[in-house]
Amino acid sequence: MAASASDIRSALSIASQPQNPAQTPAQSKKLQAQSSRKPDGISRELYSLIGPSAPSLAAQLAKPKLKQKPNLGSRSVVKWEWRSFTNGARKDKLQLRHWTKAATDVNADYPFAKYNVQSTPYIYTDEEYTQYLQDPEWTKEETDFLFNVVREFDTRWYVIYDRYDFQGGPARSMEVSVVLFKLDTYDQSTLSPQDLKDRYYSACRKLIRNRPWSGDEASKSSLLASFHFDKEREITRKKYVASLENRTPDQVAEEEALYIEVKRLEQSERKFKKDREDLLRVLSGVESGLPDVLEDESPFNNLPIIDTKKKRKGPSSGFLPTDVDSPTSASNVIALDPPIVRKPRDPKSIAYDAQHCIIRTDLPPNVQATKAAHHPAFMRSFKLPYPKAALAPRINQIFAELGINNTRLVMPTRDNCARLEGLMEHISALVESKKILDKLEYDIQVAKKRLGIRNSEDREGGGGGGKGKGVGIGSAMDVDDGDADADAEAEEESVRDGRAQSIVSTKSARSRRPTRRSMSISSVDTNATASARASNKRKFRN
Amino acid sequence: MVNYGGDEVSALVVDIGSSSVRAGYAGDDTPKAVIPSSYGYFNNPPGGDVSMENGNSGEPKSAYSQIFIGQNGPSTWRAGMEIGNPLQDGLIHDFDSARSLVEHALGDVMRVNASEHPILVTEPPWNTPANRERMAEIMFEEMKAPAFYIANTGVLNAFAAGKGSALVIDIGQSMASVTPVVDGFVLRKGLATSSIPRLVHSHAHHFLSNPTQTRHAIDLYPHQLIANRLPVDPGAPPRFTLREDRLAGVTQSWKAWYEAREVDEWIQSVGGVLEQGWNDQVAASRPPRQYEFPTGYNNYFGHDRFAVCEQYFFQKPHFVQSNATAPKTIPSLILEAFRTCDPELRQVLMGNVVLTGGGSLLNGFSERLASELSRSFSHVKIHAPGNPTERRYGGWLGGSILASLGTFHQLWISREEWQEHGTAIVGQRCYWRPVIRQLLARVKHGCSYERQKHQLQGYQDNEWVTRTMVMKG
Repeated sequence: MAASASDIRSALSIASQPQNPAQTPAQSKKLQAQSSRKPDGISRELYSLIGPSAPSLAAQLAKPKLKQKPNLGSRSVVKWEWRSFTNGARKDKLQLRHWTKAATDVNADYPFAKYNVQSTPYIYTDEEYTQYLQDPEWTKEETDFLFNVVREFDTRWYVIYDRYDFQGGPARSMEVSVVLFKLDTYDQSTLSPQDLKDRYYSACRKLIRNRPWSGDEASKSSLLASFHFDKEREITRKKYVASLENRTPDQVAEEEALYIEVKRLEQSERKFKKDREDLLRVLSGVESGLPDVLEDESPFNNLPIIDTKKKRKGPSSGFLPTDVDSPTSASNVIALDPPIVRKPRDPKSIAYDAQHCIIRTDLPPNVQATKAAHHPAFMRSFKLPYPKAALAPRINQIFAELGINNTRLVMPTRDNCARLEGLMEHISALVESKKILDKLEYDIQVAKKRLGIRNSEDREGGGGGGKGKGVGIGSAMDVDDGDADADAEAEEESVRDGRAQSIVSTKSARSRRPTRRSMSISSVDTNATASARASNKRKFRN
Repeated sequence: MVNYGGDEVSALVVDIGSSSVRAGYAGDDTPKAVIPSSYGYFNNPPGGDVSMENGNSGEPKSAYSQIFIGQNGPSTWRAGMEIGNPLQDGLIHDFDSARSLVEHALGDVMRVNASEHPILVTEPPWNTPANRERMAEIMFEEMKAPAFYIANTGVLNAFAAGKGSALVIDIGQSMASVTPVVDGFVLRKGLATSSIPRLVHSHAHHFLSNPTQTRHAIDLYPHQLIANRLPVDPGAPPRFTLREDRLAGVTQSWKAWYEAREVDEWIQSVGGVLEQGWNDQVAASRPPRQYEFPTGYNNYFGHDRFAVCEQYFFQKPHFVQSNATAPKTIPSLILEAFRTCDPELRQVLMGNVVLTGGGSLLNGFSERLASELSRSFSHVKIHAPGNPTERRYGGWLGGSILASLGTFHQLWISREEWQEHGTAIVGQRCYWRPVIRQLLARVKHGCSYERQKHQLQGYQDNEWVTRTMVMKG
């Protein structure tokens, strides 16, 4: 192997290891190992062939390693100790024992002692009491008791009402039910749990107000506000809550029904508005510039929502900023937005565009610049107009008469395309008006015939009835017949008659020649919209 | 460790109830020792031949010559053995035997030395201060506990459900109670209790031991008194022979005890309540359940198994009128508790109803409660653990959570404090300030910690496994 390796080295003109005969094989082996270690991912044979100058690609051939095994054993074991501790939150020296990491400080504070948070209670001196806190309804003893209880229970008023049992005072913390259940008999003079709150907070407020205050006024007033308590308001509120609960099932049902009714009214209101805007949109066309109909949640926040949405929408849809706040665009007024004003372009850039045959196409203003609205680049000749399928044979025929190939333009420039389109439009309008004309003529003819029959009947009395009937049947059969083979016949005829007939018949609008076959084409109804659509198409395209 | 707020100081939790005494280590999810509260005793020392027939001998200083507690206590037949229960209406009235029960649970079952562990004991919400102080005295003076605390089962049940405020509906063996708990405090004025479980029990007893149109009276002999029996068809008269040798030694109290046990087992096996209120047709349409008594008598119970338990929720008006002292039903207890509560509080409580106690495991009980409550309140949410262990030992579980919290350890009444202040400290510490604010924030963490442990350990528990499988499937 070694020989072949050196051979290849020489063949690849790589400097081979200087073979020193003086070195022992072991030493040389060691040297080699030191100088170049086989990288991962190359087989030993390959490495001995190409030597240390392995291509850098080989580094990426390293086979993926498995996830490293978790090293469970060698982690240092944490030592725990069953140790006694004292709790800093306790006043006595109770020694409890618990497991703790041996590394922790023996004299460290108990970690849970810090949760022993005490609220700062308000304490007053006798002097302060006589000066500020006198109240005919409260004795000093009861006030003391109240403050103690409040401190004990951290101002949890529900619990305070429950546990308040001052001996010798008026019954203050009496049954809540008296207040809550007998609303009719509720008397302002009855003492209620609210008295406790009122007394406590008013006393605190007085203390704050009258004590020297070290901080600024703002913090003092905010502290005062936090001790604010309005007894009357609280009682009223409780009454409301209680009355809410004392509703009978009927009342609840009625309320619910009313609520549903209101919702329904709101909904119909919204629907009406939507319909109105839709109607306006239809009346004034696609480009009326009406904003999208907004789904308002409630009639109260109606206006602000519209305003914000408009503001957001304004710039992107090409509104001028002044339009946004124009009073006519308020939703309650039936008014259309002013027509879209295109930004006048810089004359210089217009000149530049003209010079370089650049035609800029703008998106229609009320189409959002979304992905769906985006037109990719296209060949103009792909977008050549096609005649309507129903009219296609006739139109193609006219094109053939004009000697124009309408499916393939030799030079589909912008102008040429526009002209072709215009021509197509004119031709289809021509064909359609011809068709209408033919129908009208036929109608007149039929009506005249009927009139004639009736006149003759009148004249002949009952005698000519049979004949008239026969004619009537005959004409009816004619029409039926025409309907049956309408298309085929129409094509045949149009091919046979050629242009002359059609042109003549349309140009000389007075011609009374009855043409049964043109009558037979009965699909006239959609033609009115077809031309409009074509014009729309054109607008979109430029 | 600190994340969960737990810091275990190897405290013991003892929960004394009417049917059983539960004891175990704080931080565990189930009590280690569950022993019946009833015990057997001899009033007069009988002959030496019966003495010390099992290891559970009582204290020599006890009023009884011998006391039999635990697994082989009341349920083993002994000639002339009387049965006692230290509890009456959920309150301990006989502290000597209560102490013996606790000593047995801690010393003989758990094999711990009570003087080395802080002990948390539970009390019903209607406990008296005297009882509370007596319990502290026993713990400090006789059990030599280094620290002691007595906590309210209402609060503990709320904690076991991970709630600081809750309406705890606890259906025990002898008492049912509805306790409003706010921020870890029981509202005493809202507390409502009744002995409705005993009424249901006596109804069932009356129903079984009296003949009906279709069957004879059922003998409620326990298996201890039956020598042999033969299988019989459902409804057929039983064929069994009694152990005449034992009959003579049966005392009145033991007879009452075993009959009560048979009735209880019948209620627990076949009893149920209809989910949507009483309806004869629905009750008749439910499949009857077969139950076999120790005598071999067996029958299908259909309509009656619902009729008996319906007493929990509804009593006939004429029955209530004729018995002014009739215990209140569960709905009227709830109404009574609510009458004293602030309307704002009611909404909070209705959203946190905790159903607990072994009696609430009756078939369809929680569904019925939900339908009863939702009839008069909107937004009712009932927390009823599906795990029977959690339901039966809810008070113990709450105590286990509480006593393993780091912030709780400042509340223990230490021996030093006891010696300094005496009984006054018990009321002051346990009643006035049962749980302080910062503790409440930790309870929820503690509870989730408890749940995690529960799930880890619970896979050995068959019930738990079937429950999780049902939930998955």
